[in-house]
Amino acid sequence: MSARPAALPAAVAAPVGSGRSRRGPGTAARYALLVAGALAAATAGLLAGTSVGPGTALAALAGAADPLSVDLVRGLRVPRVLVGAAAGVCLGVAGTVLQAVLRNPLASPEVTGVGSGAVLGAVLGTLLGGPVGTPSGVLAVALLGGTLGGGVLWLLAGRAAGPGTADPLRLAVVGVLVSAVLSGTTLLLLTARPQLAGAMVRWLVGSLNGRGWEHWAALWPVAAAVVVLGVLIGPVLAVLAVDDDHARGVGLAVSGWRSAAVLLAVLATGGAVASVGLLAFVGLLAPHLARSVLGPRAAADPRLLVPAAALAGAATVTAADAVAQAVTALAPVGDRPLGVPAGAVTAVAGAVVLIGLVRRRSRTTVGGVL
Amino acid sequence: MTTVLAAEGVTVRFDGRTVLDGVDLAVREGEWLSLVGRNGCGKTTLLRVLAGLHRPDAGAVHLADRPLAGTARREVAKRVAVLPQSLPPLGGVTVRALVAQGRYAVRGPLGMLGGGSDAVVDAALAATGTRAWADVPVELLSGGERQRVRLALALAQDAPVLLLDEPTTYLDVRHQLEVLDLVRELQAERGLTVVAVLHDLAQAARCADRVVALREGRVHADGAPGDVVDAALLTEVFGVRGVVSSHEGRLTCSYLDAG
Repeated sequence: MSARPAALPAAVAAPVGSGRSRRGPGTAARYALLVAGALAAATAGLLAGTSVGPGTALAALAGAADPLSVDLVRGLRVPRVLVGAAAGVCLGVAGTVLQAVLRNPLASPEVTGVGSGAVLGAVLGTLLGGPVGTPSGVLAVALLGGTLGGGVLWLLAGRAAGPGTADPLRLAVVGVLVSAVLSGTTLLLLTARPQLAGAMVRWLVGSLNGRGWEHWAALWPVAAAVVVLGVLIGPVLAVLAVDDDHARGVGLAVSGWRSAAVLLAVLATGGAVASVGLLAFVGLLAPHLARSVLGPRAAADPRLLVPAAALAGAATVTAADAVAQAVTALAPVGDRPLGVPAGAVTAVAGAVVLIGLVRRRSRTTVGGVL
Repeated sequence: MTTVLAAEGVTVRFDGRTVLDGVDLAVREGEWLSLVGRNGCGKTTLLRVLAGLHRPDAGAVHLADRPLAGTARREVAKRVAVLPQSLPPLGGVTVRALVAQGRYAVRGPLGMLGGGSDAVVDAALAATGTRAWADVPVELLSGGERQRVRLALALAQDAPVLLLDEPTTYLDVRHQLEVLDLVRELQAERGLTVVAVLHDLAQAARCADRVVALREGRVHADGAPGDVVDAALLTEVFGVRGVVSSHEGRLTCSYLDAG
């Protein structure tokens, strides 16, 4: 028999041949849209909740405005936006990696034990104070906490079942349980030190209030590293996202690479949590936002999806913070709260997106997490 | 002939039930070995054990002269390619992207950063008649077309041993014959060793140099199709009464009743 391609339906045959050449500019344009969205959200974050107008803000950025405006924009607004964007980058990468590794489009740092472990670490760091209470110190203990959460998850879900048998469903279920235990431990700590409960809301809900250049200095290397590492292991994520037999069949050491990917998610989540707390749903929302902008073919390639989810995460967090500040500014000056946390906004928006996702998945059987 | 893959005393149990019971099987270089037997007799499990995808409870598998258990996955994948029964939903993954994953063992994770597609991938797409669909998401193809894509994926590994798990599942008769003929052609061209789990006894005999029939986790019969496939095998292995006849060197099975 000679191998002959069968006739394709018109709808399928249309993109054949020209598909690759047409994907390039299409993908670039979609990336431009994500960049534009992130820049728009950052601009909104710079201006939200202040009396500084766009023109003055631009002048202040260049150092050409009055000293008060320059201090406000350069000293407070810019680092706040940058920290939010970097945290969003981290959470976007963490969500993308976890969804691929667990082969579950609903996976995110907060339901895998990684996020709640990082929060526990950050809370402990703040309680202990001293060197571990500094931004870098909190980052370190948050990473340890995230590793603890990821490690417990791995031990219970993976090793206990035997080498190489950590299946995604087991990981997802155990992840929720580990998250609940670690969150409960955090609440116990807060109950023991009620005078810190107000400040601790930052870690549990996630907020950019009071974030400055020192937090940016601790966070940006993590954000840069996780994007680079996420792209580098992109081919591995693509293979892992199919199934374990396929991955082993083509030569992948599944358990080792899955552990490495979870560690990358721990690093990304720990970085974000140590700086702004656990912003709910960003790790879930950013990869899906990136997929919807990139389209299914480009989104199926983690080398393209990881940076896109990073941009979507940056846009999500900075936009959420802009909304939070705008809501704060709506309150009468005398009764104005300290600041609506950005995490409250992401929680509401994320819940809406989650409901939409569940409804969409119930209507179709075509899945895929990349 | 040289033995390229060998199971020695392989026993597999699932929840206390013995699925394979001390199976010895030596796969010789360049042969087509068809594994047949009733549902649940251990065919697919034996194939998975031979591929290193399932660790036996007792016994061992040797890849040439090396124990499979101690061999790195990338080394195994360079020598043994597996065609699975099916793959899960793949979202927007295109045919080329999926087939290129077959190059992982050769190129490694960093070598795959450029996409993994190379001349071997193009050759696999061409050999299976899937090149025209290279940029089409796998999800959009029919069952038969996907089966060709899975075959292209296995060929892209460029491994000398090909393990096929029910390669004709989901296919109509014409496509079943096309796929089996295609593998047979490739086997002849490339000198591949093929182990195929097949349900259709006539097809299994038609392609094979050797037929191995499993019954209750043990090798019941092992030999050339003309020596092994007969009415007694239908009764003993499949529990049906039937007639096996030969026409122009090809075996035909007619099934009468369930015995």
